[in-house]
Amino acid sequence: MTVKLEDYLSQVAPAWCPGCGNFPILESLKKALVELELAPEKVLVCTGIGQAPKLPHYLRVNTFNGLHGREVAAAQGAKLAAGDLTVIIHAGDGGAYGEGGNHLLHAIRRNLDLTLVVHDNHFYALTKGQASPTTEAGAKVKLQPRGVGSRPLNPLALAISQSCSQVSQTTSALPDHLTRTLVSAIGHRGFSLVNVLQPCVTWDKVHTYQYYQERCRPLGADHDPTDQLAALGLVLKPGERIPIGLIYTEDRPVYGEELRAEGGRPLRERGVEPGLVKGIMDRFR
Amino acid sequence: MELNVRLAGAAGQGLQTAAELLGLAATRAGLWAAGFTDAESRIRGGLNFSHLRLAAQPRQGVRQRIDLLVALTEEALAVYGPELAPEGGLVAAGRWLHPKAAPFCLDELAEKAGSVKTRGTVAVSMAACLVGIDPGLMEEVVRDRFGGSEKILGLNRKAVQEGFAAAEAWDRGRGWRLLEPGRGPGRTEDRLWLSGAQAVALGALAGGASFLAGYPMSPATGTMAALAEWAAETGMVVEQAEDEVGAINMVAGASFAGARAMTATSGGGFCLMTEGISLLGMIEAPAVIVLAQRPGPATGLPTRVAQGDLNLVRHAGHGFFPRIILAPRDVSDCFSVTARAFDLAERFQAPVFVLTDQLLQDGQATSQAFETAGLPRKRYLLDPRELEKRAEYLRYAPAEDGISELAAPGASRHTVVVDSDEHDQAGHLTEEAETAARMAAKRQAKARTVARADWPLEIEGEVKGRPLVISWGSTYRTAAEALAGLPAAHLHLRWLWPLDHEKLREALKPASSIIVIENSVGGELVPILEEVTRLKVSRLINRTDGRPLTVEELESRLAEEVE
Repeated sequence: MTVKLEDYLSQVAPAWCPGCGNFPILESLKKALVELELAPEKVLVCTGIGQAPKLPHYLRVNTFNGLHGREVAAAQGAKLAAGDLTVIIHAGDGGAYGEGGNHLLHAIRRNLDLTLVVHDNHFYALTKGQASPTTEAGAKVKLQPRGVGSRPLNPLALAISQSCSQVSQTTSALPDHLTRTLVSAIGHRGFSLVNVLQPCVTWDKVHTYQYYQERCRPLGADHDPTDQLAALGLVLKPGERIPIGLIYTEDRPVYGEELRAEGGRPLRERGVEPGLVKGIMDRFR
Repeated sequence: MELNVRLAGAAGQGLQTAAELLGLAATRAGLWAAGFTDAESRIRGGLNFSHLRLAAQPRQGVRQRIDLLVALTEEALAVYGPELAPEGGLVAAGRWLHPKAAPFCLDELAEKAGSVKTRGTVAVSMAACLVGIDPGLMEEVVRDRFGGSEKILGLNRKAVQEGFAAAEAWDRGRGWRLLEPGRGPGRTEDRLWLSGAQAVALGALAGGASFLAGYPMSPATGTMAALAEWAAETGMVVEQAEDEVGAINMVAGASFAGARAMTATSGGGFCLMTEGISLLGMIEAPAVIVLAQRPGPATGLPTRVAQGDLNLVRHAGHGFFPRIILAPRDVSDCFSVTARAFDLAERFQAPVFVLTDQLLQDGQATSQAFETAGLPRKRYLLDPRELEKRAEYLRYAPAEDGISELAAPGASRHTVVVDSDEHDQAGHLTEEAETAARMAAKRQAKARTVARADWPLEIEGEVKGRPLVISWGSTYRTAAEALAGLPAAHLHLRWLWPLDHEKLREALKPASSIIVIENSVGGELVPILEEVTRLKVSRLINRTDGRPLTVEELESRLAEEVE
């Protein structure tokens, strides 16, 4: 059975602004899933709250649209329970790097086979344009009218420094690159972080499609994604050119796979056998 | 006939290990043992005790009385020596002067056995001898517990011999024997000796639990630790989350994916979970939350007992959604109530709380081996073959009782959609007014269905014209014992929420007065009872210092109320 783009067709109309940077991510995700020949019922998309997290409603797929910032935690629970599902998390920069920061740190450590796609537009868009953890210092926004005082988080450097199994960056402004990056990330065994630089057509007149098209440069053959220090150097170096593509990868044991290796069926298939506790109970006699 | 042994000393002196040995030996010998611990939140030093009550009959209430004091430090002697019963006896680690002291000291006997570290084994062997437990049985228990290391086993065997020899010489005429040679059961294998924390863990397994995510917090950690220890053989996924927020959201994700999922925490950790509780309510995901209570607010008294979180769990999470609150009353109940909680959670697709506390979690007791035959075995997930035949699957399809059919993602060709936003039948986010009202009504309908599933009220004694004492959770055993012989009835609430207003009002109305026994500062059950029954609670008998209510204390406080 081949998987077709129509299989992912949803009846729900997107509630995003016209021209939103989320649209190319939605389209690229569908294309990537078709290319990977994954049937919708075997894919689970976990999200939180915001504009990006509405994404799974706009394709036909298993959906866990939970709480703001907790998408990574919920996805890990789901993946541990149902190892047969391909689990993809979509979050905004606020959810992934702010509210859910601690979950991200520990998800990198655990290294379940998950893909986290961060729609990074450097803003809280849904709540009308407050600063996010990746907003540039000095930017004047509603809650920080004198300019954002904190330095922006560098999520790529953070992930690479913690040996995240796969780290890549792409942009909504280059849809083909975005699709290829998603195919690689979803196909990767282990925890993959994809930071998607995304224009916000409503709140941000600087970081436009054109802005990213002019500055984003795919990494060349001279970049070795297995060299941790080189990858870190690349993302710590400020410059006019923004690196996109596979920045870092490390082959790490995948958490939870031993459960499957032991023939562990998804937990939904487990029955209730009260009598099975007798063996353990006997140890207290 | 009973003997109350208090082993008191500093943290790190092996008090709990020693109490564990004696309790197991007593259980195997056919006695009923019940123990509780009083420990400071520290690893070494301070003043702790393990109190063991040994009796020929089941006696699980908390006793203040000390018949035999084992004092491992001079501080322990100074603090608990004055509490010794008039005919009591003292065994001390050193040659400290006391009129009731035995003519030997534990440390010397332990050194004779080969190591001063065996003093706990010497002490409990003496206690075992005094109640009539066979030395061979004590040696068997020591072998089962220390069998891993030949050296430690050898030392402890000698310690058993030293303990028995010393106690025999001291015993004459003391009359503490609970077992006479050739009389009584002498040996039994149909009883268990375990803690409430372990019984909750066993109950979870019996209820089909396949997933736990939690963050360590006293006194809940014991349950997590037991399930983690058995995970390799049970296939349960036990995950230590980065924090409680992560834990409850992992539980929500696993539950959505079809696991029977749970967490275990205490009040402070639970506070962090409350948005997740609201999420469970909204997406209608089954989950069991074991809340092992301790005194608050904030960090409170981390290693001590309270029943102060009933209204917290009753109201936790914003918005209206149904929930069930259960509270086991003893170790055996910890097993069956927890097992049933999993059935209720999946049947009603709702969060179910199991409220325990430090006394139950850490306390150990002899229990009849747990019955598994009558426990529910059903899973409520739609059969995948049946699901495959359907033209569509709607997670929140309308249902008169408010309970839509439950399916897990990946089980069939249908996708499953849930949303923490208000959603339509298919699970998709919606703001449509009519749909929002319909979904709210569906959750209300489910709440009514849940309320009809409550368990029967358990009342001991005649209510009409007499005081009615109401207890819940760990105070039950102590209250029941203190009430024996008093002209009052006793209602124990194991199912705490939702309550059937009419049924409860009818049960309470004939009483001359209503007395609530609860280990909390303000009385958690009092406002609930008054709200539900529109009757006045006349008295709250409580404790506010993090220590358990005792039989002696309740006897005197109840006598004032009841006479």
